[in-house]
Parts: sequence; structure tokens; C-alpha cells
Amino acid sequence: MKLSRRQLAGTILATAAGTAIAQTPPTNPADELKAARDRLKAVGDTLAKLTVPIETEPALQFKA
Amino acid sequence: MAAISEDVFFATIPELNQRLTSHEFTAVDLARAFSDRLEKLGPRYNALALALPQQAFHKAEEVDKEIKRGRLRGPLQGIPYGVKDLISYKGRPTTWGAKPYAGQVFDYNATVVDKLDGVGAVLTGKLATVELAGGPGYRYASASLTGPCLNPWDRTRWSGGSSSGPGAAVAAGLVPFSLGSETSGSIVTPASYCGVTALRPTYGLVSRHGAMALSWTLDKLGPFGRSAEDCGLILQVIAGKDSKDPGSAGKSFYYTPQYSRPMKELKVGYAPVDFDGHVEPSTRAAFAAALSVLKDAGIPLVEARWPQFPYGAILQAIMGSEAGSIFETLITSGQVDQLADQMQIAGLKTCLDIPAKDYLKAQRVRRLIQEEFSKLFAEVDALIAPGRPGPATRIEQRLDAVTPPAAGAAENPAGFQGIIPAGNLAGLPALVLPCGFADHLPVALQVVGLPFSENTLLAIGREFQARTDWHKRRPPA
Repeated sequence: MKLSRRQLAGTILATAAGTAIAQTPPTNPADELKAARDRLKAVGDTLAKLTVPIETEPALQFKA
Repeated sequence: MAAISEDVFFATIPELNQRLTSHEFTAVDLARAFSDRLEKLGPRYNALALALPQQAFHKAEEVDKEIKRGRLRGPLQGIPYGVKDLISYKGRPTTWGAKPYAGQVFDYNATVVDKLDGVGAVLTGKLATVELAGGPGYRYASASLTGPCLNPWDRTRWSGGSSSGPGAAVAAGLVPFSLGSETSGSIVTPASYCGVTALRPTYGLVSRHGAMALSWTLDKLGPFGRSAEDCGLILQVIAGKDSKDPGSAGKSFYYTPQYSRPMKELKVGYAPVDFDGHVEPSTRAAFAAALSVLKDAGIPLVEARWPQFPYGAILQAIMGSEAGSIFETLITSGQVDQLADQMQIAGLKTCLDIPAKDYLKAQRVRRLIQEEFSKLFAEVDALIAPGRPGPATRIEQRLDAVTPPAAGAAENPAGFQGIIPAGNLAGLPALVLPCGFADHLPVALQVVGLPFSENTLLAIGREFQARTDWHKRRPPA
């Protein structure tokens, strides 16, 4: 299955805003770690919303 | 000993080569002059990690003997250079810019160092890097064993990172050229901020053997120089198959300006909003003038669009997962707490928690991004975009702050704002060309092309630099 460019753009635009970074720097290591985990979760949430055709293999043996 | 005039410190590789082979000065003269300058001025910018004067003089003496015998090895013979301090040089410290690795010594050279040694280039020093090439992210310019690298154009500004020293050292005339690395933006950013020409090669074109790994599927090594031609000459030497690098593409690169297509036959894509609403107001005049230069050169510019993937998130998932694995021992041993930047410490710790499903999903979406770029490059030969949306940031400025959308951006989200993570995800080459000034600080274009299209990018760069002199400007003494 191939997604059209329009379908792809629609899916992705809907999720692209979800990766905003924390606005103020945390003041101690525990808060810093929490902020990092929040960023990680935002990345995961963004990825979860993306649709990928089932036959698409990951670029593990990456060649440009 | 011949006197070395100030202009030599800002000469291109062909100019230096011509003066060496015509015996205006010797390789030892040149190595001594550049070594003295690097040791004297490098610390002024926090650009120097390690000076190597004795090794440089020894190599330069060999080169002089060869030149005397008429054994010429090409334009890089006798030319001093520096490498980012994540590239190994046998028997001397390679710190990766990070305190936990301050005493690290390798017993072998990186492949790129051996290749440059083979053509007679003279290594004069290791240059500053952001710790661990920035890892999964850092908040302040001070995230380096050598402190914040200062911009030669204004020492209250940052040089950019993570290849901070390679950018600043070329800009300040401390080395004629240097090698840096890019995982996502680490060549493009310092070249843009420091006003030097630099090339991020196609993924796999240049061996990374002997260089610190941050992300196996994203890391690239590339040159900083005085012109597009310099970058082509350097790339020809450092590119090529290397069985010691699993990511090696097995391809060579031959710099062939003689076979360049006429500019009028090229088609270059761009998004007007990138040069207006997406950049800081102070830069717009410089970018508008740069576009005019390209048009005057007869290069057809066409408006182009691409799908808006969440490039940053995809890149973070891939780089974070791979960096977590690479630095697992650093993280689990607790030595990670010795790093300078709190955001990087926390970021590395959480890298170990990235789910496999996120990594694989990101790598699958990456395939789609490659497919989309293939379609786009069926319509255009290259893309141009600003190197960075503004001039160099202030030293104390937070680097992780969200930049509010500039005026006009909200109405038109099209454009190539994510070209740095996108280009890195797709393994695309990018050439950075200084194109003017804003607030007395350099700004630059980036020209991005298909994998292995470096000669096309360099041809565009040569044409631009034949019509401008931004790449020849020197920072204040």
C-alpha cells in the first residue's frame, strides 16, 4: 500500500505540533530528568500517530 | 625562514599550493606560522583542543623534501589543517569534548587522517567540539570541555556547534581547512554562524572509522574551507570506500569542475517564505540579495514544496536510541554526570528508555522520507534554504528554547524549515555558502542535493562565489 503525498501530509501535519519543547529550564537534576522524559513521551506520541504502509521496512541497513 | 604575510592565513588551498610549489615559502614555514597562530589565538576563541606543533613540523619537513625532489602529491600537499576532537590521532588525546573521556588515547588514526597524511597535508591541531558532539541535545554553548566556542566575528556570540572549533578556526585564519562531523546540523550550523564554506557529504561517502559515533545511521564527516573549490579538493581526498566503516557506501568522489552542467540547465527548488517569514527580519535583505545573485547567474529557481513530516521527532528517536546504546556504559556507570550540560545528562539517561517500537517506527518513516525526496529530486536538481534562520546566537542564550513563528510563517507553513533534520535523515549532501551579513554577523545559504550529487552542489557554489565575495571576508583582527 502506498500513501499519496496528500494523505501523508495530512497525517503528518496533524501530529507535527506535538513535539514542542519545554519552555523553561528545569532547576535541578530530578526536574531535568522529568523534562527529558516528557520530551521522550512527546516524541513517542508523535510517532504513534504516523501511518506507515505495512510493507515499509526500517532503514536499519541504511544506504543513502 | 620566509615571512608569512597576513593574507596567507586566509588564502585558499590552490593559492597556498601555488605559493608552496613556486618556493615562495616552504611547508615548514607554513606549518610554523599556522601552528603559532593556532596556539596564540585558538584559546582566545576556545577553539583549540590540542596543538600538535612537533608532529606538524616533522610532517612539513618530509613534505619539503618531497617537493624538492619534485614528488608532488596534489593541492593539499603541505597544507596545514585541524580536526574536530572526536577524530582520533594516534598516541594523543581524543577527548570527544567531554570530561569522562579527557584522558582517552587511541593507538590508531582515523581513516580521514591517514588519507590526508597520504597526500601530504599537515595536521596542526585538534579543534573544539561540543561534548559528545551534542549527544541527544544540550542547552548552552558552554557544553564543552573547552568552554563555549566564541565566534571570531563577535566574541559575545557562539560559533555554533557541535563542530565549533572547525568552524571558528577556519573563520579566524587559524587553519586553512578543517574536518568536522554532522549528525544533524553540526556542520551546517557552525559554518553558517562563522561565515565559512563547508560541505556535509552524502551519508557513507566519507569513512567515519576512528571518529566518535553518536548515531551510526546518521553520522557524517565533512570539510570546512575557504571556498566551494576547497571543499571539493578536500572531499576528493577523504571520500572513498572503507571496509572499516560498516556505513561506507563504497563510492569514491572525483572533483570534476570541468564537467559541470551549464547553470541554465539546472533547476533549483526553493520556498520564498523560507527567505522571508521563516527568517529573522535582520537577515532578509541578505537572503533576498543572495537569491538575486543566483537568478542573475542564470540558475532557474522554481518554487517547491514537500510533505511536512515531524522530522525533529523522527530524528530524535533514531539518534537517541543509537546514542543510548553507544553510551550505555557511560550512562549506567554514572560517569554521565560528569558532563557539563544538565540537559544532555538527562537526555542521555532517558535514551536508554526509548522503546524499540519508536526506533523502528522512526526508521520506517525514514524510508518514506527518502521516497519523498526521490520524487522531489526528480523535479529539481537541488534545493536552497537558509543555513540558519538567524545569525549566531549569544553565548549565554538557551539553545533549546522554542523559537516563536516569525511573521508570515503561520499563514504559510510550506517551506523547508526542517531541512537540517530532513536532509540528515535522507543522507543528503549539503553545501553551506556564506551569503551576507546581518547585525555584522555572517549568514549563509545551504544547497542540498540528491545523494552523491556533490559535484552539482559545488558547481552552484563556485558560480555563487564567482559573483560574490562573502566567503573572502575576514573577521575583525
